[in-house]
Amino acid sequence: MFLALREMRHAKARYSLIMVIMLLVSFLVLFVTGLARGLSYANISALENMPAGYFLIQDDAGHAFRRSQLGTEEFAAAKQAAGADNAASLGVQTSTITLDAAEAKTDITFFAVDMEGLLAPKVSEGSSFGNEDHGSAVADAKLKESGVALGSTIRDQASGMAWTVTGFVNDSSYSHVPVVYINNADWQAMKQSAQAGNGSPSSEAPFNVIALKTSSEQAAGLASGLDSVEAITKKQAIASVPGYSAEQSSLQMMIAFLFVISAVVLAVFFYVITIQKTSQFGILKAMGTRTSYLAWSVLCQVLLLSVISVAVSLLLTFGMNMGLPDAMPFQLETPTMVWTGLLFIGVSLLGALISIVRVAKVDALTAIGRAGA
Amino acid sequence: MSTMLEMKQVTKTYGDGDTTLAVLRKLDLSVRSGEFVAVLGPSGSGKSTFLSAAGALLTPTSGEIRIDGESLHGKSAQELTELRLRRIGFMFQSAQLLPYLKVEEQLLYVAKQAKLGGREAKERAAVLLQRLGLWERRGHYPEQLSGGEKQRVAIARAWMNKPAILLADEPTASLDLARGREVVQMIAGEVRSEGKAAVMVTHDERMLEWCDRVLHLEDGVLVGR
Repeated sequence: MFLALREMRHAKARYSLIMVIMLLVSFLVLFVTGLARGLSYANISALENMPAGYFLIQDDAGHAFRRSQLGTEEFAAAKQAAGADNAASLGVQTSTITLDAAEAKTDITFFAVDMEGLLAPKVSEGSSFGNEDHGSAVADAKLKESGVALGSTIRDQASGMAWTVTGFVNDSSYSHVPVVYINNADWQAMKQSAQAGNGSPSSEAPFNVIALKTSSEQAAGLASGLDSVEAITKKQAIASVPGYSAEQSSLQMMIAFLFVISAVVLAVFFYVITIQKTSQFGILKAMGTRTSYLAWSVLCQVLLLSVISVAVSLLLTFGMNMGLPDAMPFQLETPTMVWTGLLFIGVSLLGALISIVRVAKVDALTAIGRAGA
Repeated sequence: MSTMLEMKQVTKTYGDGDTTLAVLRKLDLSVRSGEFVAVLGPSGSGKSTFLSAAGALLTPTSGEIRIDGESLHGKSAQELTELRLRRIGFMFQSAQLLPYLKVEEQLLYVAKQAKLGGREAKERAAVLLQRLGLWERRGHYPEQLSGGEKQRVAIARAWMNKPAILLADEPTASLDLARGREVVQMIAGEVRSEGKAAVMVTHDERMLEWCDRVLHLEDGVLVGR
């Protein structure tokens, strides 16, 4: 530490510059990470917030909820295996609604659920409604921006059915559009009206998937007992939401590149400095300084620079998070921040390794017979 | 009077097979405490090889070297590093101070390497700096010092850990005559006040006034004239 600190004290400008670069890169890493998390959350928060870990889905649906159709038979089997409280049917229908009060149309996704079951929405404002109440709905709070208020009437453009909004839930999006929760009775009515057109009114309209709150073995066992049904994890379900993977993978690639860039920038910087100091290291070794001490000195500098950079960029990220408008999807939980910061520091230390190899290779013999400084 | 540096039949050859070049050929040297020996030789005569071997930086092809009675033979690289730290003081051409350490810190650094306590190290540094007329300059960086002052700091640094012997590699090479003579005089003074020994390698014959013995490196052996 003796050498490391004094060298940094003496060459303040040099080390400040590299710190600024690292600060900017680590800030960008945190920012893009937050953006990726935020976008992800804005996309599929309705799925993420579900208390279910597994979903039963038709095996030819490619994990996509809307392509799957399951009926009462499967639901009965699921309820029997997992317990009535740990299985719930879910109907998913994207649609466009018109607001009676305003001349505006909005895209939404209907989630048809058992209002007393596993997937019942947790109302944050207003009140929920029962399974028998026709024409009631609970909407995602984001719909407020479109003019929906408690007591507003929303009308489904396809079926012409209308619902009165009795309550709002927070953070409930599916495929970037707000979710409107309706009960199964209205789901049946909506589906029957759609099917009435093609003249084959079936007794019971199917729903899409069954949510399960069970162990993975239980879910897999249940799926194998049913014909052409598979069990997928919540993670798989989220990855199959249209657009989700494409959106996330491009952001993830940016983050990965930023990590690589920061490692390379730091590595090159320290490598150049180390090469400049080759004769100094030779002198120090001749005078009896151990290589391990010199290596530790380099490592200390990298550690100090990266820790300070990460700390400052965390503060910046915090500050910016406060100032960001709500419309900007940005979300960074403490564990994500801590892991990102630690990874950044780890990658920086990795970049310091080539300098350390270089330091180790310097021969003390070069100190003798050297004219220049 | 004890022997601080002893070199017996030291040979160093470079290359292999047909093209062996013997730089040192059965070289003998014995330096006792209180002695200041100058080794002269034109460039290419093997002065650097001689000093590297004496300074435990280079393992000779054959022969034995003892520093303060301790044989270098069979020591690991780490043991040699430790020995250089505690038993040998080095002076290099153009001082080679660390640019980012203040004068006093240059001395405290080597003391710290030898695990010398803070208070003790500070006292030792103060004694050396005062004796070499550098006390007023203790808070300066090397870039603020003149060439002669730098070399004086190097003298102080070399004596800091109370080594058995000081090895100086052309300490006057980057100085003018007056400054060079001053530095050599100070090395001689320190040899006396520390009661240790010094070997200076140089090609400059004007610097020999204060040396107890002058040897010439010729054909890989040291000869007195």
